[in-house]
Amino acid sequence: MKRLWRDTLFKRLFILMWVALVASHLLAYNIVTRFVLDSASRPQGGFRGSLLLPSLPPTPGVPGGPMVGEGLGAKGPAEPGMPPGMSQPPGLNQHPPPGVDDDTPPDAGPPQFELPTGALLLDYGVRFFIIGLAAWWGARWVSAPMRRLATASRTLTRSIGSHEPPPHLDESNGTVEVRDAAHVFNEMGRELDEQFRGRGLLVAALSHDLRTPLTRMRMRLESIESDAAQRCIADVREMDELIDSSLALFRGVGHAEAAQRVDVLALAQSLCDDLAEQGHAVSASGHEASVAEAQPMALRRVLSNLISNALRYGERADVTVLREPQSVTVIVDDAGPGIAPAQMERVFQPFFRGEGSRNRATGGAGLGLYIARDLIRRQGGTLALANRPEGGLRATVTLPAQR
Amino acid sequence: MARCLLVDDDSEIRVSLGDYLQRFGMSVLCVSNGAQMRRAVKSERFDVVILDVMLPDDNGFDLCRWLRQEHQTPIIMLTAQGDPISRVVGLEIGADDYVGKPFEPRELVARINAVLRRAPAGDAERRDQPRNVKFEGWSLDRMQRLLVSPSQVVVALSNAEFRLLIAFVDHPGRVLSRDQLVDFTVTPGVEVNHRSVDLAVSRLRQKLGDSPREPSLIRTVRGEGYLFDAKVNA
Repeated sequence: MKRLWRDTLFKRLFILMWVALVASHLLAYNIVTRFVLDSASRPQGGFRGSLLLPSLPPTPGVPGGPMVGEGLGAKGPAEPGMPPGMSQPPGLNQHPPPGVDDDTPPDAGPPQFELPTGALLLDYGVRFFIIGLAAWWGARWVSAPMRRLATASRTLTRSIGSHEPPPHLDESNGTVEVRDAAHVFNEMGRELDEQFRGRGLLVAALSHDLRTPLTRMRMRLESIESDAAQRCIADVREMDELIDSSLALFRGVGHAEAAQRVDVLALAQSLCDDLAEQGHAVSASGHEASVAEAQPMALRRVLSNLISNALRYGERADVTVLREPQSVTVIVDDAGPGIAPAQMERVFQPFFRGEGSRNRATGGAGLGLYIARDLIRRQGGTLALANRPEGGLRATVTLPAQR
Repeated sequence: MARCLLVDDDSEIRVSLGDYLQRFGMSVLCVSNGAQMRRAVKSERFDVVILDVMLPDDNGFDLCRWLRQEHQTPIIMLTAQGDPISRVVGLEIGADDYVGKPFEPRELVARINAVLRRAPAGDAERRDQPRNVKFEGWSLDRMQRLLVSPSQVVVALSNAEFRLLIAFVDHPGRVLSRDQLVDFTVTPGVEVNHRSVDLAVSRLRQKLGDSPREPSLIRTVRGEGYLFDAKVNA
């Protein structure tokens, strides 16, 4: 029994449409009959004061009603007191435009009653209004929860992986379907958030537990003097880098950092100076006062990653910083073999590494570009790769000067 | 001979790192948890404490804070959670250096030596210096290595420039010879000499917007060295 009375959207719309149609007929018929036609004349006593039951739409000539317009449209009086709708079968009714009535040949069928233009418009107006109102109301029942759901889904995408709580929909209001959907959505948000957090914790724990044996291994290698030991040391370093970028990925680098105005050329120069100090072939040049609004640590991570990629795969890194009216562009060029066009988009996928790069000399985790692009998008910027016509790869970062 | 206290819960790391440090002329006491560390520190004087962040019975950060209140002993934090945030936290609560696991053993030795070198030269004074300093509208965050210009733009510094600027803001209004600047800015793994100091000065001037012809912030004192001519506020 309880199920029968559940507030479902189906029931709501069904009843709304039904009630709206019936109500519009009743109301239109009654208003037209009482207020427009009534004022012209009335049949003797008749049904004044009682509710008029209309025929099916549109409202036909008023049965038993007065001779509207002094016989202008009257083809014959109906029997007074005849119940409405009985004076003519529905469907036969016609509404010739006013003024042409006189030209209409006399009808052999049942007598016809014509409505004056004003009454006709009122009749339609009332119907339009009521059905329109009901349609608007019903559409809101459907669209408002959809809109809320869409907004919440967008927020969910943003909040997953960041430190914000997942969005929550109201589960206590609306129809059964809306409440069900809200409940399912909230469950899903919670689940996703938990999963993501769990994964982050797992990676953090794994990283910690991997770094301890790596430290042991590194200490052990210190007592061995051989080429193999040197290669093992390089492996330890590579594994540590992988752990580092996995951690960065799952902890969500840069989520909590506030955006500040950053001197991009100074950043590029400082990174290059530090690398030059270690004997790498790097250079940085460009427009002074190239200021972009960005998260300083996140931007540092991205540029540092692009420069070390250039050094790893392309032997050298030449950084150029260009100031444009609305943006700042950072170009990192290398002198390597570039990337096969077919792989250009795939290099941004996590754990993807280019053909032939899975060797000691060019190691790397395959997470760098994925993280870099993610971080740059978060700054409202873009990161693109292209092969240079003169050889080598060019990474281009464009950052908005202001956000 | 430098006396080291090594706190780590992993027995093999304790043994191998202890042996390794002894090869460099240090005497090492190894303990495996926070309680043992507290006991050791109370009964003996150490020149440096090497402290793991994750311990079975205690948090390395809490131990570091506790040790800082009781003693002036330099602390080097060792951690497997080597991310920038925990580095800042570690330095903020008074650690002298922060080394991520797995570390290069030689680098750890170099850092221990650097900390030991700084320690006798009034390390307590150095540590009491405020985290944020301001000069001529610029502000410098030592922990995050963040320099912000008078117009609120973040200006990144290279390691060499940062070390040099720290040396300058710690000694404002004093002429520093190139030798002194080399001493102040020397760091493991990098060769610092008169030439590299001159180079870092000219780059730092550029970043601080100081005219190379007539510098007003970092002035050249002919035949003597450089003078940081600014009022430094906490």
